[in-house]
Amino acid sequence: MTRTRSGPRSLADDLRARTDEELAALLRIRPDLVVPVPVDIAQLASRAATRSSAVRVLDRLDRFTLSVVDALIVLGDPATPKAVRELLSAPKTAVDSALAALRERALTWGTQKSIHLVRVVAEIVGPHPAGLGPSAHQLLLGLPPARLATIVRDLGLQVSGDHASNAETAAAHLAAADTVQGLLDDVGPEAVSALRALSEGPPTGRIDDARRAVDRSTARTPIDRLLAAGLLIPVDDTSVVLPREVGVYLRGGVLDPSVRTEPPQPEMTGRDPDRVDRAAAAGAFNVVRQVETLLDAWSLRPPPVLRTGGLSVRDLRRLPELLDTDETGAALVAEVAYVAGLIAVSEGEDATWTPTPEYDAWQRESVADRWVTLVRGWLETSRTAGLVGSRDERDKPVPALGGEIDRPLTPEVKRTTLDVLAGLPAGAAVDVEGLVAAIRWRRPRRGGQLRDDIVRWTMREAELLGVTGMGALAGHMRPLLAEDTDEARTRLAGLLPEPLDHLLLQADLTAVVPGPLQSELARELNLLSDVESRGGATVHRFTEESVRRALDAGRTADDIHRFLESVSRTPVPQPLTYLVDDVARRHGVLRVGAASSFIRSDDHALLSEIVAAPQASALGLRRLAPTVLVSSLDGVTVLERLRQLGFAPTPESADGSVVVSRVEPRRAFGRPAPQPTLADRPTPTDAVLSAAVRALRAGDRSSSVRPADVVPGRLGRTASAQTLADLRRALEDGSTIWIGYVDHHGATSERVVDPVRLEGGWLAAFDHRSSEIRSFAVHRISGVAAVDA
Amino acid sequence: MADVTDGPLIVQSDKTLLLEVDHDQAEACRRAIAPFAELERAPEHVHTYRLTPLGLWNARAAGHDAEQVVDTLMTYSRYPVPHAMLVDVAETMARYGRLRLETHPALGLVLHSTDRPVLEEVLRSKRVKPLVGARVDDDTVTVHPSERGNLKQVLVKLGWPAEDLAGYVDGEAHQIALDETGWSLRPYQRDAAEGFWHGGSGVVVLPCGAGKTLVGAAAMAHAQATTLILVTNTVAARQWRDELIRRTSLTEDEIGEYSGSKKEIRPITIATYQVMTNRRKGAYTHLELFEARDWGLIVYDEVHLLPAPIFRMTANLQARRRLGLTATLVREDGREDDVFTLIGPKRYDAPWKEIENQGYIAPADCVEVRVTMPDGERLAYATAEADERYRLASSTEIKTRVVEQLVKRHEGDPTLVIGQYIDQLDELAERLGAPVVKGETTVRERQRLFDAFRTGELNVLVVSKVANFSIDLPEASVAVQVSGTFGSRQEEAQRLGRLLRPKADGRTARFYSVVARDTVDQEYAQHRQRFLAEQGYAYHIADAEDILYGEEPA
Repeated sequence: MTRTRSGPRSLADDLRARTDEELAALLRIRPDLVVPVPVDIAQLASRAATRSSAVRVLDRLDRFTLSVVDALIVLGDPATPKAVRELLSAPKTAVDSALAALRERALTWGTQKSIHLVRVVAEIVGPHPAGLGPSAHQLLLGLPPARLATIVRDLGLQVSGDHASNAETAAAHLAAADTVQGLLDDVGPEAVSALRALSEGPPTGRIDDARRAVDRSTARTPIDRLLAAGLLIPVDDTSVVLPREVGVYLRGGVLDPSVRTEPPQPEMTGRDPDRVDRAAAAGAFNVVRQVETLLDAWSLRPPPVLRTGGLSVRDLRRLPELLDTDETGAALVAEVAYVAGLIAVSEGEDATWTPTPEYDAWQRESVADRWVTLVRGWLETSRTAGLVGSRDERDKPVPALGGEIDRPLTPEVKRTTLDVLAGLPAGAAVDVEGLVAAIRWRRPRRGGQLRDDIVRWTMREAELLGVTGMGALAGHMRPLLAEDTDEARTRLAGLLPEPLDHLLLQADLTAVVPGPLQSELARELNLLSDVESRGGATVHRFTEESVRRALDAGRTADDIHRFLESVSRTPVPQPLTYLVDDVARRHGVLRVGAASSFIRSDDHALLSEIVAAPQASALGLRRLAPTVLVSSLDGVTVLERLRQLGFAPTPESADGSVVVSRVEPRRAFGRPAPQPTLADRPTPTDAVLSAAVRALRAGDRSSSVRPADVVPGRLGRTASAQTLADLRRALEDGSTIWIGYVDHHGATSERVVDPVRLEGGWLAAFDHRSSEIRSFAVHRISGVAAVDA
Repeated sequence: MADVTDGPLIVQSDKTLLLEVDHDQAEACRRAIAPFAELERAPEHVHTYRLTPLGLWNARAAGHDAEQVVDTLMTYSRYPVPHAMLVDVAETMARYGRLRLETHPALGLVLHSTDRPVLEEVLRSKRVKPLVGARVDDDTVTVHPSERGNLKQVLVKLGWPAEDLAGYVDGEAHQIALDETGWSLRPYQRDAAEGFWHGGSGVVVLPCGAGKTLVGAAAMAHAQATTLILVTNTVAARQWRDELIRRTSLTEDEIGEYSGSKKEIRPITIATYQVMTNRRKGAYTHLELFEARDWGLIVYDEVHLLPAPIFRMTANLQARRRLGLTATLVREDGREDDVFTLIGPKRYDAPWKEIENQGYIAPADCVEVRVTMPDGERLAYATAEADERYRLASSTEIKTRVVEQLVKRHEGDPTLVIGQYIDQLDELAERLGAPVVKGETTVRERQRLFDAFRTGELNVLVVSKVANFSIDLPEASVAVQVSGTFGSRQEEAQRLGRLLRPKADGRTARFYSVVARDTVDQEYAQHRQRFLAEQGYAYHIADAEDILYGEEPA
């Protein structure tokens, strides 16, 4: 398989001549070609030339490379790099590297000087490459002969009797720059401006009676004059097309006057990298805290899962207040927690969004670790939080956590966006619309409006997540993009404040924690008080209810006093001490029995108060003794009602002891985190690639050596005695053979093997495709043929 | 803390700012954030400020820009400030001034915009339509002068506050000067008056007893013009008059009183809210007072009490300079924002404890004394209707005994006993052998009793809520509150305020609030105390048993 002077005759030929490295590079860029591994290069080539595979790779080309594709289509097959350069008026280096990229992707083949475009590409691009119409020759051929003859005559050319040669004559006239200019000068400025509009693409226009009979002498309107001169050519009764040559001429002889070989640079603002990192760290800390706040709330009151999946709008609307953010931010927090596997749909009939055991593990990690977990999930997920709240096709708002927001495009565009940011100097904040344009240049065929939106959402979410700070990529995000999580964690940890072991107690019954609090202390404090405001610090308020909650959870007044003294750097204010004692004094004065539901108290007046309360009639109370009431309702209900009435009863067990209870946080077990939907197969590893290339080469050898009378996959079923004899002979000769093999799924494959051993109905042989010794069951070997290496 | 600056300020995600007061830079930081952040709470260790759109717009009006605000936050913040919040601050501030109220040489008052879509947006609002006149050009629309205030109010609610460049009328000139012989204006009073004058109109918030009247006098000396002063009641009106005569060049003939009993209109006229809101046959009969003279300045004393009808009148007075004075700008009706839009933004504000630290108001100890109702009363309470409960709890008989003990303990100290219910007050007066000042007491009798109290002839005085405001009783050093207007925070503050005139011997004042345990009285008391607790007054809580059996509360 040597390259001949005339060059390869087909894509398969070209691929066959490529080095192993080139093939591996192709498969790396187009992983869809590897699954399953093609039998041989011919199959690889035909798979590469399929529409779906070619669309996939075209979608990932940048604007300039696509212009080169357009140029190749316009120039026709084959084209030279020089012609491409001239048509694009682009520098050699840019064109050469674009051509190299196309060749690498197996979209073109041929030699350096003669480039063939894989045919399906032109079909995908459509009839108007670069917004240009078909060639004049093709259009003119489509005209009725008489009409064409009139045009040729009007152009002042020699009319011949042959339709085809007339078309050629006229087309040549329209392709020459000076003659076209002459025609344009003739038709007048109005007509020229109409042409200019079409020259920017699309090249077709609609007019009435497109096939009207006109000639130069009878032409009255500008359109008449254009039709007469062949500058516009009718394709049916109502449409006209601008011939490609005229379009190119109007564009100044180039395909695209505005072509740029490099992506547009978004406007940048240089910010102090330290400030950027600090701002991003604040965002990172904030989002970790928000996830914790949300999931702690959901631990106690998990919201229901909508019948159609997702979180109800009402439940979403509650979140901004809880999390101090807007609805977009709240949806992001919920989604990030979901993607990280921290919440899931609970088992059972009334499914709810419930934190998972992973949440408990996550909570025990450092803030930096927790952030890394969240952001990695966010990077990879195809769930698109930005879509939450938009309208779906039935004009209903798209719910958070629902199934409708998976977009394979998201991780791809998100990654591209962040990679663009990572390519900028530290502290560079970019203008978002500029960035949108830059990404659009990189992937113009991919995603459309959604792509642009994802860029915007990515930038917004990045800021909320602390991936960027003040619009610039954070220092701790760069290592994460390079998969170095340890470095990312270390850098972020350096920016975050140390957890505190103390707080400030104030006489207005508030406590201020001027930073993050150690987590055990935070838990205890959250039990004892209600959070009033969050941020860099947390403000807590002690109320009767909050203290009672702590007592209900089994704390004694002494425990609380000790805790407060140990965490406060200043003396505990007297009103707070008093509050705790006062609540403790009343706590447990009332006791409710579950067995027959009784209320007892040593305080006569208090029982009278209960009996007299207007709402108490619903409890069905009866006074048994001055110190005991009974109720017809169950103890739990009675307990609730009494608390609603503002009393502080304690439940009592059958043996008379006080039952302490605390609301247990709920957990959803055994639910996997949502996996991203991928547009691309993951890039194969190098090992897989080299194995694939080896297999291809082996397959190629097997097809080139395959006996002419066998068809792949239908190797003649030789009798098993014959098979055994053939195998034995090959083993003795030490020759390479070609076998047909039916695997246990019933699929047939052909392999080139070197037999090593034959025993017990098994053939051990070196398989050229996998480069290893493998065992083949003899009864599954459908045929054997010699390879004349 | 690695890599984190050690500033005194912590910015919270709900837009509150926490200022650690013991920090070295706390004072500098306080000064820097005061122009744009509202002081919300000032307890002992950490003060809370809040960023509100109104506060930010007021800062713009006072000439601060978003960059300064952002820079201040970044400079003093201990932790990095969330970028989103900075953006929000900048965006909020950028909304101010897109619309401007200007005086057009030919057309008079006009609303002009530098941002046409904004003008289009507000003009489409139903609430703006009736307030504006003809469209002059694309960017300008005329405004009826009398709607200036209403329009400003509506525009604030729409989120596009107008910058008022139409200016003020000078009013009829009148010579007024401060007569600083034997005394001088305190630094904060001077700052407050100047802050007001530079701002044009606005509200000055100073603690009770900090000398707000003198801020008013200083403002009048700046204005040099005829002045209308609106006060809460006749006694307060007379105190204003006396103070003005003593502290300024004004003489008795220049000051008129416009009240229920007198209808004098003089260059300086002091009117009561009550007479202004008097109606006959549904019409406000004394409105002409606003037009009676070409006033150069209008002073609203105790602006937090400004009644709704006067709000409406004030909306029509936007061309005149307005000064609001108050100690407690908390309105239980939540109309603080209306005060700010119609009178003007807060021009000066000082935490109570700070003025106390400077020695201008007396330090005070607050003690909540909890009494336990006897069983008989508890039963009555338990079975009472909800609307009777507060009255029952707050006038429990045991309170009387506790008050007696407290008054006895402070024998010799000028003591006020303050309550809501007249029966209770009468009973207390009888038990204590002290006179009562209540609604039906004549002005003359009130004056006599207050004078006797001031001179020390009388040591104990029982007063109803008529004495909540503006009654100057400098030597009162003990107050015992037995009941109040439910959970009113400002009433509590005003009552404490009666004690805050600095004492000749530098004594600490003491404020007792007697509360019935485990009743609505206690709940209301907690709400009442919030404002003062937030200003850093720590309430000790004592049990009545300790008082009755003679132990000194801690």
